[in-house]
Amino acid sequence: MAEDLVLDTAIRDWVLVPLSVVMVLIGILRYFVSKLMRSTQLPDAKVVKEGQVIIRARNLRAAAGFIPAKAFRARRIYFTNEENGLLHVPKEQAQNAQAQMFSDPNMAMDMMKKNLSMIIPQTLTFAWVNFFFSGFVAAKIPFPLTQRFRGMLQNGIDLSTVDVSYVSSRSWYFLNLFGLRGLFSLILGEENAVDDTQKMMQMGGFGFDASRSLAAEKDSLDIIQHEWTLPKMEQRAEEVLRKLVK
Amino acid sequence: MVGAAEEARLRRLESQVENGGGGAWEYLCLVRKLKLRRSDQVLRHGLALLNDPRARSKLGGEEWTLYEQVAIAAMDCQKLDVAKDCIATLSKQFPSSGRVGRLEAMMHEARGAWAEAERAYALLLENNPFDQITQKRRVAMAKAQGNISAAVDYLNKYLEIFMADHDAWRELAEIYVSLQMYKQAAFCYEELILAQPTVPLYHLAYAEVLYTMGGLENLQTAKKYYALTIELTGGKNTRALYGVCLCSAAISQLTKGRNKEEKEGSELQSLAVEALTKDYKKRAPAKVPLLTNMLRNMKLTS
Repeated sequence: MAEDLVLDTAIRDWVLVPLSVVMVLIGILRYFVSKLMRSTQLPDAKVVKEGQVIIRARNLRAAAGFIPAKAFRARRIYFTNEENGLLHVPKEQAQNAQAQMFSDPNMAMDMMKKNLSMIIPQTLTFAWVNFFFSGFVAAKIPFPLTQRFRGMLQNGIDLSTVDVSYVSSRSWYFLNLFGLRGLFSLILGEENAVDDTQKMMQMGGFGFDASRSLAAEKDSLDIIQHEWTLPKMEQRAEEVLRKLVK
Repeated sequence: MVGAAEEARLRRLESQVENGGGGAWEYLCLVRKLKLRRSDQVLRHGLALLNDPRARSKLGGEEWTLYEQVAIAAMDCQKLDVAKDCIATLSKQFPSSGRVGRLEAMMHEARGAWAEAERAYALLLENNPFDQITQKRRVAMAKAQGNISAAVDYLNKYLEIFMADHDAWRELAEIYVSLQMYKQAAFCYEELILAQPTVPLYHLAYAEVLYTMGGLENLQTAKKYYALTIELTGGKNTRALYGVCLCSAAISQLTKGRNKEEKEGSELQSLAVEALTKDYKKRAPAKVPLLTNMLRNMKLTS
């Protein structure tokens, strides 16, 4: 067990503090760059309309009993007929939807921009940290930790004898990368915080296939049995009134 | 629609603000949230806030929202110079913003410069064709000019895309009723019923449209919808009670010769009559004779 490594104060002045400052500055810079590059994308008419159609069809399905049978049938035909029904999706179009999404240059461009503003600075800073500060023991946390934290705190030093409470410079970089969100939300305002972790999660889910939900809605509208609930209401109204009159 | 709790809170805040007890900003926020039209108060208190530099700086970024709110309120009160100042401040802060552009177009509207406003709205829509508020403004403008058919056209075009917007459906239904296009109005009310099946007002309005259209089938349906309204309101809605009576009278007149099938409905109508008389006795005893007279004329009471 190495008895108390003494850290040079120069390490604090030239590694620990500059690293944090640089991370903060890069975060702010990135915020402004992404603000510059952000294009207010106009929603596509078709997408907006499809969303609205689905809501309306769902309403129709849920409250079908409240309108007369004639009105319901007219609406069902309007939604589901095979020629120009709102919910009807032609076969070949359904297959192309996915391909279309990838070929749309605008969308690809947008993805690129988002990724660029995220990946490039990260790789650059990581390379910078690796190049200048690799192997530094940059700080010591004032309480002991178990061995499991070694991977988290001593990334880049392969010495099993060093006490776990020492933090390597590369680990310090990672801690900053993920831990500065609170600071950013203070500096840039609540909603503007650059949240790397969240962005990474967003990367995965993209491409919502509207045609599939349209088709599902159409099927469930097709099988629904219309039963007008109003005739029952007269009796119920009578009961209500009888109670009221008494 | 404003809930009872919110309305009570609004009243309390209003009286507090009126009597100089502070809380003006909370009041303005609540008015904005509930989308109420209290232009007079908003203008007075909002302007007081804006003229006080200390209070204004306390608002931070919300300051600009307040400018917008006051500008709209000022236009409503025809204080055009105030509105102009507000809009000038806003356009200095947010040059080439669509929201400020809309305010400027509304300013044209308030001055009565319809052509200019129309052009401004068209320009805004060119930049952002899915701006719901601007599209609705255009409808409102057409209506204000008395150009009802244009309003109907705009609304129909709007509903083609935003077909789940029930406020627009409601507006369209009311316009159709005012134009006496009952079939179309009935369609709109059906749409509203589908969107919010628990709101009794829509059922009531639908029943009224059906009753107005007339015909045995429509009358019977209308009676059912009146019954539904009674059920939903617990029999408190006088209009629905009257509706049941009127429908029954009309139906019995139409089916005078063949009175075999209409037997089970009679009880509902006599109950409605009873409920009506009871309500009148309790709340307006002076008008009871009028009511009994009328019911007798309709041959609903013996």
